[in-house]
Amino acid sequence: MITQWEPILKDVISDVLETMFFAMVDFDEDCEQRSFDYRSEICIVNHQGRIAISLCLSGAFARMITANLLGIDEEQVGEDDLRDTLRELTNMVGGSYHARMKNHEWSLGIPRAWKIEEMAGAEPGATGLRFSSYGEPIGAAALEFLPEAVQN
Amino acid sequence: MSYNVLIVDDSKSMRRVIRKTLEISGFQIGEYMEAANGREALELLENNWIDLILSDIHMPVMDGFGFLQALKEKNTNMDIPVIFITTEANEDRLNELMALGARGYIRKPFRPEAVSAFLGRIMGETDDHTMGTNSKGCDF
Repeated sequence: MITQWEPILKDVISDVLETMFFAMVDFDEDCEQRSFDYRSEICIVNHQGRIAISLCLSGAFARMITANLLGIDEEQVGEDDLRDTLRELTNMVGGSYHARMKNHEWSLGIPRAWKIEEMAGAEPGATGLRFSSYGEPIGAAALEFLPEAVQN
Repeated sequence: MSYNVLIVDDSKSMRRVIRKTLEISGFQIGEYMEAANGREALELLENNWIDLILSDIHMPVMDGFGFLQALKEKNTNMDIPVIFITTEANEDRLNELMALGARGYIRKPFRPEAVSAFLGRIMGETDDHTMGTNSKGCDF
């Protein structure tokens, strides 16, 4: 079910960013490795475990897509707006991925977003999909299946 | 004709986006109100006339299911069209909402022009008093 997740996740991220945030990204394995500023995460869960989707974004890109979504200038973007927008982005990515799974035994969890400096080890590992905008590395995405039982 | 609209979503950003989407698409808004969850929305409905409700499903305190159930239990509110704007992908859950009386659903991400067309169709049906049949949801 989550095999070959990379092309699906790439497609979902591109579609969500383009449709709601007016931003286009390119996925590039050779994209320069960078530290990013924000991380967001959402889980798709069932009784067998959870699929965790995480996104890491540069502060500049996060600010730009927040401004695009809200129709305001980047200078007007507040920290609360930015995190709220990242949660929505992650919610839409998770929901769209869930829709592609076509398996209703799974349900979508609640998205979270935080500044990476606030949480040690919060960036996706080396297996994360790296993406750029106009040649500038701006983010990474990762998907992980955690088979342990989930307590809700 | 203008409509009094209530937007229910725990995301302040999404409430702003939905309102802006309505405005730029030419949808005539009379009074505009917003709530962060179903319970807040029910409180607003106690004292305000609303023509259309656009609601999220996944919210803290009272989610979209609880909100719709509570809304339909009140005779004064049961005819207000409720449209869900959601990332929910589970067709069974969406069909459950339709069975409870939702007028339709729009999946996020969405395009403003498609939302406008969908709402125009829904509100047109309302004016024609053809509320007995549920509209289908739409993906954009």
